[in-house]
Amino acid sequence: MGDISIENLTKKYDGLVALNNVSLKVGSGEIVGLIGPNGAGKSTLMKIVVGILKPTSGTVSVSGHDVVKEPEAAKRLIGYVPENPSLYTALTVSEFLRFVGKIRGVPDGVLESKIADSLQTFTLLDKASSLVGSLSKGMKQKLALMAATLHDPDVLILDEPLTALDPKTQAFVHGWISSQGRNGKTVLLSTHNLEIVQDYATRIIIIDKGVVIATGGLESLRRLADARGDARLDEVFLKLTEDS
Amino acid sequence: MKQRGTPVLSDWRNITILTRYWLKGRLTRATALWLILGQGFAIIFIAFGSNIFLSFSSKFGVGTGFSEFALSLILAFILIGLLQSGFTGSGLPIRSADVDYVFTAPVRPREVFTAKIFINSLTTILFSFPPMLFLYVRLAVFNNAPLWTAVPAGLATLLFIITGLILSADVTLSLSSSLGPRMKLVRNILVFGVAAVAIIPVVFLVPGVPTWLTPISQILPSGLAADLSTRVVNGAPWTAELTLESFALVAWFAASLLLGIRMSRAHFYEVVTVYDGSESGKTIGEGKTTNLLQTAGRSVWPVVRDKETVVMRRSKERRGLLVSSAFLSVFMVIYSLAGVFQSSPTSFLFILFLIGSFGSGNASGWLEKEQFWIIRTSGINIRRYVAEIFRARVTPLLLLLIPVTVLVGVPLLLGKLGQPGSLAVLLALPDALLVAAVMMGGGIYFAARYGQSSTDEILSSQAQQLTDVKLFLYQTLVNLLLVSPLMGLVLLAAQPPEFLPVSPGPLTLVLFVASVAYSYEVLRRLLNASGDWIGRRENL
Repeated sequence: MGDISIENLTKKYDGLVALNNVSLKVGSGEIVGLIGPNGAGKSTLMKIVVGILKPTSGTVSVSGHDVVKEPEAAKRLIGYVPENPSLYTALTVSEFLRFVGKIRGVPDGVLESKIADSLQTFTLLDKASSLVGSLSKGMKQKLALMAATLHDPDVLILDEPLTALDPKTQAFVHGWISSQGRNGKTVLLSTHNLEIVQDYATRIIIIDKGVVIATGGLESLRRLADARGDARLDEVFLKLTEDS
Repeated sequence: MKQRGTPVLSDWRNITILTRYWLKGRLTRATALWLILGQGFAIIFIAFGSNIFLSFSSKFGVGTGFSEFALSLILAFILIGLLQSGFTGSGLPIRSADVDYVFTAPVRPREVFTAKIFINSLTTILFSFPPMLFLYVRLAVFNNAPLWTAVPAGLATLLFIITGLILSADVTLSLSSSLGPRMKLVRNILVFGVAAVAIIPVVFLVPGVPTWLTPISQILPSGLAADLSTRVVNGAPWTAELTLESFALVAWFAASLLLGIRMSRAHFYEVVTVYDGSESGKTIGEGKTTNLLQTAGRSVWPVVRDKETVVMRRSKERRGLLVSSAFLSVFMVIYSLAGVFQSSPTSFLFILFLIGSFGSGNASGWLEKEQFWIIRTSGINIRRYVAEIFRARVTPLLLLLIPVTVLVGVPLLLGKLGQPGSLAVLLALPDALLVAAVMMGGGIYFAARYGQSSTDEILSSQAQQLTDVKLFLYQTLVNLLLVSPLMGLVLLAAQPPEFLPVSPGPLTLVLFVASVAYSYEVLRRLLNASGDWIGRRENL
């Protein structure tokens, strides 16, 4: 099982500090909700974990593998869905999955059965021979999730996986994320949908202006925000980010 | 809805506002720079092209009639192309901003149509007239005709192009549902009739074809403009026939414009194609498709190459490559037949660079369709990935260019071997392929280092255009430097035997080996550097 360890992480872009000395841990099998206002540094943090961005200073490791020093070993353990996943529109759904499976090193013996299972789970069996470019936004999002899990990763990094999805697809993705947690996967989920974080996350991390301002379960966040005992996460979040 | 007493903007005021709005949007600093650059390239191209054409017509002893035939055929193909684009809904170029802001404003469709025609005509004049004028000046000089004849000749051709654009818009407008099935049949028969008549000059390539067929193609604007332009620039006296042809050409223009305005009175927005510069699902087809990518039992690298091949095939890049190489084949064979190859070593350089631009342009197609976030998060070796993409893209390019070089090379070698300069030609032909490969490598490097993939943040369109222009200039310069050693070797082989240190035969072989070794090393470095730049990109 996978865990994420981030220590003293700083990321600067031309003088702009996107992340400032961030340290946090995501334990094996946890579903952690990463929330924060727009521009807080959530996507930057996730992109560093998956190896797209290089940290200015600090370390990030996945199951003990440093993402800068041992990128291949770390990437093998991670499945990633970006905020706006753009896919190979000129490939069919099954061609796309085969290609992703191949470059992620999924053995031939299991690749086809994995794809078939995945198409079944995500109810896209009838779209196997359709061009990715002809799929709806929701279907593309499902395809990105399928591609992220094809190599059976221990850690899932999901950046706004619910953006622009219709309620039915959102409900499906909610259920799917929850099932990943039950199957022992470690999930780091960034979203503005605080309801899903409140319902499914085992722990919540609030980030603002590149700094972690709070971390813990809903109860501990309520105490930290000096909020009522039955306060919803959105109320707690607003209070904490106002204070910061 | 119009109400009595309510001030309503007149048609012309709306047309002026729209024209000004589009003009302001289009004529940015970057566009002006493109305009100057484009016209510079067009004039250079025309200078070479007209030299070939004139060498060809002199060599085969053909004069005015041949010029008219050639121009008539060229204009016929332009007309057919415009009618074809009319059928695909592209006769009226519309942008997504037009859909959002113009089509939702209280402006009548016929005002939008007229303003579009104005702006398209203006752009056409700005872009095409200077190179056209240059062409006719060149022909006037060749024919010892007064230089001023180039102006009416150019205007006649320009009027044809504008008429063709309006006809294309008319065809697009006729796609609207308001046209009944019977009228659609009549429209189709008319358009195909026009296309058939337009290409009548082709039959004159067949010996013994009766000459009475010639005037038939002159009922079309393409035939009229070709006849008018060539006769004027050949110094022919102005006759009643020419006056009649001028009136006929103006009549075509007026009729197509009035027809368009008449048809655009109804709402037409649903029949036009919107260009927003992005790749959409529509351009690559929809629905179910045969799966072409097989992965079972294969290692990752053949799969990467096949993926790229499938993407090129489905996005019609391969078809574009085929059309371009067919055009290049015809061009090079005419060039070769005209005898310019043997007499002028500088012409090799032009051909080398022309072929090279194929490879360089092709590389940007890769970046637009690539998804780096998938590649970068997979743990795959990025250097090797880029090298395999290059291999997938350069293979079809070379396979298409080899027949072109054979087409040119075989007649030359059969007839001209042993003459001065022929060994340079022998070296230039394989070197042309190396130049294409190196320039594609250069294109991939520039795409990897500076290009924007579909997931990148998009700059404002003006800033993007300006960046594109600067990048284009920079890339052209660097590509020229990269291939200059290959060109230098060709020039060396073209020296007279007395200036060469060893006999020309072995020297050509040595130079060929040196060309291959140089190309290999340059490509290796370029592709490795491309992979490193992709690995460092943070704007994903």
